[in-house]
Amino acid sequence: MIINALNGLVYGSLLFILASGLVLVYGLRRVVNFAHGAFYMLGAYIGYSVAIHAGFIPGIIAAAAVLIAVGVALDLVVFRKLADRDPLVTVLVTFGVLLVLEDFVRTVWGTGNYAIDPPALLSGVVQIAGAPFPIYRLFIVFASALMAGGMVIWLRYSRSGLWVRAASHSPVVAAMCGVRTNVLGPLVVGLGAAFAGIAGIVAAPFLSLNPSMGAEILVMSFVVSVVGGLGSFGGAFISAMILGQIQAFGVVYLPEIAALLPFLLMALVLVVRPQGILGNKV
Amino acid sequence: MLKKSPKEEKTMLKNRRTILTSGIAFALALTLAGGAMAEGDVLKIGVPTSRTGPYTILGDQVVRAIEFAVEEANAKGGIAGHPVEMKVGDTEGNPDAGRRAAEKLALSGYNVLTGPISSAVGLALASQLDRWDAMYVSVVNKSPKLTGDSCHPRMFRANHSDGMDIAIVRPWLSEQAEADWSIIGADYVWGRGSAEAFNEVATELGKNIKVEVFPPLGTTDFAPYITQLRDSGAEGIWVALSGADAINFAKQAKQFGLTDRVTMFGHNFVVDQTLATIGADGVGIWGNVNYTATIDTPENKAFVEAWTAKYGAPPSNYEGETYAGIQTIFGAVEQAGSVAPSDIAAALPGLTIDSVFGKVTMRAEDHQLLLPNYLGLAVAKDGGAAIEVVQSYGPDVAVPAADPACKL
Repeated sequence: MIINALNGLVYGSLLFILASGLVLVYGLRRVVNFAHGAFYMLGAYIGYSVAIHAGFIPGIIAAAAVLIAVGVALDLVVFRKLADRDPLVTVLVTFGVLLVLEDFVRTVWGTGNYAIDPPALLSGVVQIAGAPFPIYRLFIVFASALMAGGMVIWLRYSRSGLWVRAASHSPVVAAMCGVRTNVLGPLVVGLGAAFAGIAGIVAAPFLSLNPSMGAEILVMSFVVSVVGGLGSFGGAFISAMILGQIQAFGVVYLPEIAALLPFLLMALVLVVRPQGILGNKV
Repeated sequence: MLKKSPKEEKTMLKNRRTILTSGIAFALALTLAGGAMAEGDVLKIGVPTSRTGPYTILGDQVVRAIEFAVEEANAKGGIAGHPVEMKVGDTEGNPDAGRRAAEKLALSGYNVLTGPISSAVGLALASQLDRWDAMYVSVVNKSPKLTGDSCHPRMFRANHSDGMDIAIVRPWLSEQAEADWSIIGADYVWGRGSAEAFNEVATELGKNIKVEVFPPLGTTDFAPYITQLRDSGAEGIWVALSGADAINFAKQAKQFGLTDRVTMFGHNFVVDQTLATIGADGVGIWGNVNYTATIDTPENKAFVEAWTAKYGAPPSNYEGETYAGIQTIFGAVEQAGSVAPSDIAAALPGLTIDSVFGKVTMRAEDHQLLLPNYLGLAVAKDGGAAIEVVQSYGPDVAVPAADPACKL
């Protein structure tokens, strides 16, 4: 029971890191970024390539750094240029970016699977409820909590965080009040991409790397952000935790429909509360 | 320009003469070719396989093995005087695209088909073989249906079926001390079928099956399943997962300490590519091994040596099995003295050929190649893992009797 809840917490934490990037970008740009799954994959591959030579921490830093650059470029080249167009156009372009990045990964790293071991410091097990539990999984919870905490502090207590909240609420009014929304765009999209990249490399030690890894997890992070309320940070947190538990307990008690449960939840939320658990709030 | 300069006129004349000459040469070549038809007919192998999609990594190996076999045959002057050509198409791993790709190949003359990964694609081809005047030799498809109720006079299997893999598990399992077993299988026809087959064998041998879990394809986090397997108290675990699922499961099971506590047998799990990725985390896992570079026959030694010289590493299990499949086709072409699919298909049943597995025979009843099979264990090597063959089984043990549902 405790172990199951813990399994759910770990999976929920990973989903949260991933979905928070999606939510950030949606909050400001009002665009569902399909390339997010590709960012996650790219982060994993870049992190992997650096980590096998220089160590795990440099791997995480490299993944974050490269993905910030990719995110900034995406904002400048795609989001800003297409800001006046139908949002659907932008969504389609992000889907194109996803395909291009997937092919890029195939070309550079090939179609095979890769795996990486957790850093030695985190590779053991601890006894929880009389059974061994991998330390690395607890680290994922810790990393996720750290990122969530940092995010909340930034958004609540810093000046730039205030601007982001203002611009998410109403870009035009914020701009009229002197908020430089043009600078916020690259900042937020870069940060969102970095979150995806970090999720990728953090997940790498217990998942294998392959060019379809992005598409698989993208669907789940969409479910998280829809259930939580698109653009809502707190909502993404709550829904990621709920989905983690549903996944962990579902396969034990309702194995026949376990794969369906996240989507049933999403359907339920869309019917009862279409804006999501904490919709319309940043 | 109204008037052509003398120089231009001269060039044109020359061009006209060239065209005339080459035209005559072409006609002459056609006449000559007509006369030499029987001897120099090209054996055209169509390879509809996974170039994109989840099985791309297997498709790559299949293509490489066929390219190698074709090159080798042509370097020796062809098969019974027939030069060999191949052409690859993309099945995308699904039956619809697979049938389209195969149709394109077959209708453009590449009608000796081989190479699809998914059994569903192989079965989709079977129904069309007469219409295309083609034949199909499976080198990867494991579904029992190919040689069971869906068997076809023009379809053959030159690789190991699921039934053959289960057949060698029985003697192994009967010697294992573990009484309680649990099963984890991919949630689709292959994983469920494998679980069912193991359940049957284990129950017959007096073992208890504790729990059976079926994660969907593409599962990322296996923790809830691993917890269930551990809590079941099983001493042994049967694993029917493949590709990325197999890798994720193996790594996570090791991290949870499960691999070290129980005996694990992986169905199609201890294969070169998967094990190379899992590395040391896979050490101690048992599995069926359909082909290994260490098989001790003169044909295999020569093959492995030539392959290693070309690619710098020994052939993988899929590469070895595919090569054996192409040897089977070549053997039938030699026997038939023809490259027509109908003649090759007629020559194959009952035919014995020399392959990397030694002398093997194509069973006439269901078109299954009677192959030996091997049981292996992943052992530690150079910081990673390598396959060690623990036990070999001859075709008499390794191949179950032909399925009576197959009527040829």
